[in-house]
Amino acid sequence: MTAAQLLPLAVAVPLLGAVTLALAGRLLPRLGCDILATAWASADVVLLAGLWHCSSRGTQVNWVGAWKPTGGEGVGIVLVGDRIGIGLALLITVLILAALLYAWRFFEEPPAGHRGTFPALILLFEAGMCGFALTGDLFNAFVFFELMGAVAYALTGYHVEDPRPLQGALTFGVINSLAAYCSLMGIALLYARTGELGMAQIGRHLAGHSADALIVVAFVLVLTGLLVKGAMAPFHFWLPDAHAVAPTPVCMLLSGVMVELGVYGAARVYWTLFSGPGGIPAHAMRDVLTSTGVVTALLGAVMCWQQRHIKRMLAFSTISHVGLFLVGISLLSPQGVTGTALYVAGHAGVKAALFALTGVLLDQHGSVDEHSLYGRARELRRSAGIMFVLGALALAGLPPFGTGLGKALTEHAAGEFLGWLPAVFVLTSAITGATVLRTAARVFTGAGGRPDATAGAQTRGDHEEPEVRDPGRPVPAPMLVVPALLLAGSLVLGLLPGPVTALTRAGQLFTSRAAYLAAVGLAPTNQPAMPVVTPVAPPVVWTGEGIALGLLSTILAAALAATALWGPALQGAAAHRLRGLAAAVTQRLVAPLRSLHSGRLGDNAVWLATGVAVLLVAFSTLVQP
Amino acid sequence: MSRTARIRLFWGAAAVIAALYTMACLRLPHFGTAVHPYGDRAVAATLRQRTANTISSINFDQRAFDTLGEESILFGAVLGATALLRRTSHDHNTRPRPVRVLPSTRLFGALLLPVALLTGIYIVAHGQLSPGGGFQGGVVLATALHLAYVAADYRALQRIRPRELLDQADAVAAGAFTVLGLAGLVAGVAYLQNVLPLGTFNTLSSGGLVPVINAAVGIEVASGVIVVLAYFLDQTLFATGPAGGAFRKKAER
Repeated sequence: MTAAQLLPLAVAVPLLGAVTLALAGRLLPRLGCDILATAWASADVVLLAGLWHCSSRGTQVNWVGAWKPTGGEGVGIVLVGDRIGIGLALLITVLILAALLYAWRFFEEPPAGHRGTFPALILLFEAGMCGFALTGDLFNAFVFFELMGAVAYALTGYHVEDPRPLQGALTFGVINSLAAYCSLMGIALLYARTGELGMAQIGRHLAGHSADALIVVAFVLVLTGLLVKGAMAPFHFWLPDAHAVAPTPVCMLLSGVMVELGVYGAARVYWTLFSGPGGIPAHAMRDVLTSTGVVTALLGAVMCWQQRHIKRMLAFSTISHVGLFLVGISLLSPQGVTGTALYVAGHAGVKAALFALTGVLLDQHGSVDEHSLYGRARELRRSAGIMFVLGALALAGLPPFGTGLGKALTEHAAGEFLGWLPAVFVLTSAITGATVLRTAARVFTGAGGRPDATAGAQTRGDHEEPEVRDPGRPVPAPMLVVPALLLAGSLVLGLLPGPVTALTRAGQLFTSRAAYLAAVGLAPTNQPAMPVVTPVAPPVVWTGEGIALGLLSTILAAALAATALWGPALQGAAAHRLRGLAAAVTQRLVAPLRSLHSGRLGDNAVWLATGVAVLLVAFSTLVQP
Repeated sequence: MSRTARIRLFWGAAAVIAALYTMACLRLPHFGTAVHPYGDRAVAATLRQRTANTISSINFDQRAFDTLGEESILFGAVLGATALLRRTSHDHNTRPRPVRVLPSTRLFGALLLPVALLTGIYIVAHGQLSPGGGFQGGVVLATALHLAYVAADYRALQRIRPRELLDQADAVAAGAFTVLGLAGLVAGVAYLQNVLPLGTFNTLSSGGLVPVINAAVGIEVASGVIVVLAYFLDQTLFATGPAGGAFRKKAER
């Protein structure tokens, strides 16, 4: 049995796990369900780790049901495990395992007879995400995309005692379903033109036709579904509402990897379908996605700074980082992909750890509000507090965290395209890091002045339902061990040369359309069907420039956080004038931005339509047939 | 955003999308031509697999992996309904009461219910031969059972609806599809490969794995739809409190 034959098991194993948990949840006690769920999740981690190991020998390809095309013509579905795809699936399985371990002592006793429902849903979520990461078929990708969506809506609304999670889940569900219809219409257009559903096959057929209105519209529609999940502005409005209300283990998964899957999908679709002749020219893709990425990063950072509800704050920080990831892939270079892949992996560990630590605050103090928690978590400062600060610094890009290395590689690649792009990376990661640092200082040490707990018409976080009603219990061990391990994982990614070396090669493979076509056996007819050998560039690890920029954004983050904490108390005319200026900027620029985030479903749907229209116009103008 | 601003922005965006989508559709291949690249290949493959119904061959053989994802979505929907519509301490439950119905309606229901069930079984069982299959037949089966509610009352439906059993059947059938795929791996070939003997064309046992997977999907769809409907009906008809009770007055007639 070869490694390629085992690729479908990445989907089949969690599916079987979900079935056994749904059945065993009737009989087993809670501990039994938790052990069973952990065992299934561990099995999938082992499987993917093995596949990752085998993928060093080359892309693993599996025609499901052995429906291999003959003479380039086929009907079946192909799974393509290149290093980026398998690496992403490995990241998914690791985060799923972390979330399940974290949830061991997290929830109240689930309803008898349905103890397995929550872990079963989590495992179905895993199956959907792994399938999406590995498939090489456009329609199959849509199916798994829908699977992860449907399960994510249910998981978001899991706390049914409170109406807000249901509202958040509803917004999430409606907006993402509308976007999924867009994707489906795009797939239908491509199918009508080419008679194919496989990504590589469609891409090959597009070469026979010049890029016309149909291609542009299909491209934008397919991309819409992916980028709504990827929370690109102005498609991002659902995300903070959903993340603020979802149970903490679910937030870890949504922010850690599901949102990033949208960006991955967009990159995969571009490279396999549209990067060849008859597709979308590189300059159009680069111009549009770089500019939207920059806007998303800045918007997310500004909104993040404004939040006091810690989960919403982390959600906006995810939006900001997704903007940077978008910039990374839109460079359309192997270095951009390598850097972004590492950035995504490092960010997943850090962001999941920060959500997990926020869950500890909710568990102990029944609140996720920065202002009302002021100084209340002092007893946790040696455990959760230190980790929160480390998470904040890693978010800002402190070397040698994986986020720091990913940021350094991506911003270097971005700087080669446009000289000012690294400034965006430094600024936005400094702002999001500073926000989390500010929160950590206030909550765990009571630093700075006591914030006015009633100020401003903001989303507060002190009315959240605690997820366990057992005041006075000590923090369960998994709730501190899991974030510690996640942060350590992010650190290891930046310290060891192994992941960078592997991802450098992976970035080259990912951006080589010829290599993808050759792997699925569809090499261009005038070329022999053999693996394309690209020269292996030596992997770049830490450079002086990268370390300097990482330290710069960390120092900037610390300075911003200090200004927020102690600035209001400063004496003197200069400080007074600066405070006046800051208040004016907030009033003129930030307040209108905040009022756009109304959380109303109608507004979100209008922004979705507007975004689609803008993308259609932008790509139609840039693509000249 | 104000209401007017929202509506104006929406119509502006909608006009752009409509214009460009129309332009794209004008570039589609013309309707009614003889060129169907995928269709031709799929029909040829269907005949090679000795399956009479091409749709079923695509669903349960050629692109069975898609169907695995789709039936998992249904399974996830059932689990999601279990999670979201579970009873909380805020809910107070009332018991269904008998309702007066015309004897002729009751008689009609009693006669039609077994006929509808039989139709559903037929559509599932002949999925590999004639139009229909597990998805369609499963929905017919689920609808058939609800004739009891339409023609009599909720108590009658509860009597003939083994809810716990169906809940388990749903999970088992969903798992069966995944396990049937493993058969290929056990036999040393690809996952979800059609490893059973293909049989004689146009007979019940033709198509290899197709009728087996088709039957599993039929059971899953039927029990899944019944269970999901059960949660929704319970919620809307008999739960009062914050989550339910919206339609209670209406239901009590």
